[in-house]
Amino acid sequence: MFRAIAATQWKSTRTTALLAAVAAFSLPIAALQAARGVENAQMFINIVQGWSAGYALLAAGAGLLLALAAWGPDHQGRHVYALSLPISRSRYAMLRFGAGALFIGPIALALFFGALTVIATGAIPQGLHAYPFALTLRFLFAALVAYAIFFAIGAATTRTAAVILGAIGALLFAQFLLYTLDVDFNLLERVGELIFGNPGILSVFSGRWTLIDV
Amino acid sequence: MTFAIETKDLSCRVGRAFQVSQLDMHVPQRSVYGFLGPNGAGKTTTIRLLLGLLKPNAGRITVLGRAMPDEYAAVLARTGYVPERPHVYPSLSIAEAMRLHSSFYPTWDQRWATDLMAQFQLDVTRRVGALSKGEAGKLLMLLALAQRPDLLVLDEPTDGLDPVVRRDILAAVLQFVTDHEATVLISSHLVHELERICDWIGLMDAGKLVAEMPMQDFKNGIKRLRVAAAPDNLGTAPFTLLSRERNGSVEQWLVRGWAPGMHEYLASVGASVREVVDLDLEEGFVELLRSARQRAR
Repeated sequence: MFRAIAATQWKSTRTTALLAAVAAFSLPIAALQAARGVENAQMFINIVQGWSAGYALLAAGAGLLLALAAWGPDHQGRHVYALSLPISRSRYAMLRFGAGALFIGPIALALFFGALTVIATGAIPQGLHAYPFALTLRFLFAALVAYAIFFAIGAATTRTAAVILGAIGALLFAQFLLYTLDVDFNLLERVGELIFGNPGILSVFSGRWTLIDV
Repeated sequence: MTFAIETKDLSCRVGRAFQVSQLDMHVPQRSVYGFLGPNGAGKTTTIRLLLGLLKPNAGRITVLGRAMPDEYAAVLARTGYVPERPHVYPSLSIAEAMRLHSSFYPTWDQRWATDLMAQFQLDVTRRVGALSKGEAGKLLMLLALAQRPDLLVLDEPTDGLDPVVRRDILAAVLQFVTDHEATVLISSHLVHELERICDWIGLMDAGKLVAEMPMQDFKNGIKRLRVAAAPDNLGTAPFTLLSRERNGSVEQWLVRGWAPGMHEYLASVGASVREVVDLDLEEGFVELLRSARQRAR
């Protein structure tokens, strides 16, 4: 059953997965290219570190696109096929989730091979070390978190989507009120810290995405 | 009589304007039940309720002896469903769609699926999204039949198809009914199509089941009578008077359960029958609808 679901999901996911894998493989190499010829270790780290947002964005983007592709065929058919299948709805959602999550693996693997390629070039200044495994693990985890969040949103009804948008709108409105009332409190920053700071749900995105370090 | 499908006081509101209300439906086991009604009568909504695709607001549903929608997985494992519009993922090829579908049904009969493929002249390499309406209809029927269900639910399976495809699909249904002792619920607004294959009919209009009877009763028992000198009060008539319209001194009646011996009853109340008109199925359907709407007013 899982194999059959994964096979159908592959059809709607393969282009995204392939492009994301190419991007994941290229990112560490591009970072190295940018730092090539820099002798100073700290500067080298800084340049490579400058590319860390790319890993976070790629993980979030891959998670988003894979989640959209996971529900795409069902949304198209207004879920009639899925609802008429003789398995519980929660199990079906888990099968779909698992099948989509599976395709994060090759993307993370591509990143790992990209990182290994960087190491194989021997262009890393002396005294610095590469952490391909740690970077890949962080990427894998971040992509899974993004995928899970977007998968859940994608599965939700229009009403749930409206509730989420409403909550964001309320937050912005509250911030606007605080600003107009001259209250010295940055609500958006506080919420951002809660979400992206440790142990926030998206803290994996805000940590150090480093391939090369001391 | 045991029922494959039974509902009691089933009600469901869909949107603001439409609702299925107080539906008492009885589909006898091993029958071919024609679910008739004009477009927008609530047939598809009812079918979705029966299969657990929608949740009712009130009432009870029993399908194959199990409560719906609570036991939907067990019921759907024994039910083949052909929806109004193709629901299979359009990006798949026919072979992939069959592989996916079969993985959910342990009762899947690959040999029969292959036979049906040949019978329906479907090419396994074709993409579902590129199939014509007729081919898509055949594929859906193939998927529903090859899982060897105890209950087959067909929602307007031949709507918009050409006569050849329609005949192929109905032939496959008939073969299935002959080979297996399964129950078939088939909805349609094409009355003549159901006449050939159904042994029970249910008639739905404006979200209500307005009639439910064996096909034989429907075919033979509904007559249009022209009656003269009819009294206002008929007392306990041996037939059901569905509607009466005055046209000068002669009234036009629509009756159910008419038998030739009933002339005497009418004579006993002072009325005389001028004419008894046999209605064909479509006329019967239209007259039943009209009388149901008159009663509702």
